[in-house]
Amino acid sequence: MRILVVEDDPGIAGQLVRALEDASYAVDQANDGEEGHFLGDTEPYDAVVLDLGLPVIDGITVLERWRSDGRTMPVLILTARDRWREKVAGFDAGADDYVAKPFQMEELLARLRALIRRAAGHASAVIECGPLAIDTRSARVSLNGEVVKLTGHEYKLIVYLAHEKGRVVSRTELTEHIYDQDFDRDSNTIEVFVGRLRRKLGNDVIVTERGLGYRLADAENQPDDSA
Amino acid sequence: MLGIGTLTARLVAAAVVWIGAALVAGGFLLAALFEAHVERSFDRRLETLLEALVAVTDADSGAKGGIRVVGPQGDPLFNQPYSGLYWQINQGRKIRLASRSLWDKTLALEDIPAAGTARGIAVRRYLAAGPRGQRLRVIERDITLVEAGPVLRYAVAGDLAQVDAEFRPFMVTLIWSLSVLGIGLIAAVLIQVYIGLRPLDRLREALGRVRTGRAERLEGDFPSEVRPLVDEANQLLAQLGEVVARARTHVGNLAHALKTPLSVLANEADRTEGPLAEAVSRETAAMQERIDRHLTRARTAATAGVLGQRAELAPVVEGLARALRKMYQDKGLAIEINCNGDGARAAPAFRGDGHDLEEMLGNLMDNACKWATARVRITAASCPGGRLAITVEDDGPGLKPEQRKVVLARGKRLDETVPGSGLGLAICSEIAGLYGGGLSLDAAALGGLEATLELPRAEG
Repeated sequence: MRILVVEDDPGIAGQLVRALEDASYAVDQANDGEEGHFLGDTEPYDAVVLDLGLPVIDGITVLERWRSDGRTMPVLILTARDRWREKVAGFDAGADDYVAKPFQMEELLARLRALIRRAAGHASAVIECGPLAIDTRSARVSLNGEVVKLTGHEYKLIVYLAHEKGRVVSRTELTEHIYDQDFDRDSNTIEVFVGRLRRKLGNDVIVTERGLGYRLADAENQPDDSA
Repeated sequence: MLGIGTLTARLVAAAVVWIGAALVAGGFLLAALFEAHVERSFDRRLETLLEALVAVTDADSGAKGGIRVVGPQGDPLFNQPYSGLYWQINQGRKIRLASRSLWDKTLALEDIPAAGTARGIAVRRYLAAGPRGQRLRVIERDITLVEAGPVLRYAVAGDLAQVDAEFRPFMVTLIWSLSVLGIGLIAAVLIQVYIGLRPLDRLREALGRVRTGRAERLEGDFPSEVRPLVDEANQLLAQLGEVVARARTHVGNLAHALKTPLSVLANEADRTEGPLAEAVSRETAAMQERIDRHLTRARTAATAGVLGQRAELAPVVEGLARALRKMYQDKGLAIEINCNGDGARAAPAFRGDGHDLEEMLGNLMDNACKWATARVRITAASCPGGRLAITVEDDGPGLKPEQRKVVLARGKRLDETVPGSGLGLAICSEIAGLYGGGLSLDAAALGGLEATLELPRAEG
């Protein structure tokens, strides 16, 4: 999961990036509205944390531009403006959630998880897929009830596939959602991670669709596949 | 014209004084002119009679006084005793002949100095006492009947009572008509003052509309004399609004400036363990709460007294409901809104600042959504006494009567598991109090808490 943080205060931005990275997200950060708008418009983010009082272009305008350009990623507004008129304006501009400063990092992370989950159409915080269960709150993956230890990148990959349950995801798309923009991307490393995940979780969990990409094995279809 | 009574009285009193003075002065002038005119025509008549007398007298040594009257004397009154019209012919101080009307009296002609008498044409006019106390006007002329004869003083006299008899009815008519004119003028002044001061009356009404929140500025066409006043007042209103907006912005900036570093502090403290981290967490939370409370109060205190404010209820409630449906998307709440007024009655509006209305309702509705299991209902109704009641109900667990008191009294958080609950109600109650309204809590028909907000209503 790749997150964009648009925040001009270096203190808050630093804390956010650190906390999000600790929660196994790939994080990009923009310091002003113009940069934030550009990144959100060109990169495929799974969620955005957006401040309102931004230099160059204010947050509401950035959000409105994204929405009018058809960008539908979930956006959480994080701002010190806590009056109800501003909240209503934020939601009307297309925000999905609104957190007022000062805020509890735990609460922000929980709301962000809920947004991503809701955007993918999952009702629960725990995504289940056959024998596989991914608890997005604690970033824990278990197979048949037993916890499996995964590295950060492995977790990012499996959780992205889990959110896109059943859909074939190309290697490029995976690269875009697993790494932040500063990472030196090499799509071959995706194959390496898939290989490692198969070793840890079993070969059937990730299905390779030749020439298209990968998908998570559908629990309901598995008996048909084996038959 | 209640509020401007003294102004009306001043204008009318001044008008009465000048109208009265003008009429009295005009009356005196007219009377004097008319009197002079009547006297002049009386004099002319006497002169004509004198000419006629000269024409009908001739010197006759055989006749009485040596003068004979040879024809009619021009006026039969000369033959009626004491008729008020007389003639007399003197030679020096000696009477030569007199009219029958003088009977046994004589006219006491004025002495004339021997020297400086212009012969023949000189006419002398003067007043003299006549028989029976009459005041006589005398016209006298020197005439020589025969060549080298004696200089005779022909005098004709008329009773001035005749002048008075002509003058008196004129005076009556004059006084009467001037009085009518005066009354008419005063009536006209009253109408003029009423029409002239009407714009002030309308100004007062416009100001009333601003005060009751039906208008933001003074509206309507005013004459150019009142226009500057209206413009000044409008500028003052605009300036007031600007000052409030500026104060609000500064307060908001201060809040933002404080909250971001507070966030950093709180989050850093959360990442570490120990007594310092705990103290920082506790104190930053307390600081946030205080900032929220005091800034809300400061914002509201700056706006609660400002004139000409009005906030429509329906758009505010609908906007908040839109936001809350998204915030509580997972709960799938049904938010029901009944605040468009019923039937012919207009949708109610709040007499005050829109931001404050949003804060109060936002907190109440947020609280209701937080606790509700499936339904939230917002109902607004106009109340007697220019007030407005907005009720927010939920179907959550509700509050016990003793808990309700605690919540309103101190804004205490009753349940730490749902952040901010309780504080919102206290802020709401505080803002309502600044507008002279209030917040009351009760058990809702839906099963949960029912919060009723009572606020001043904007008219019209």
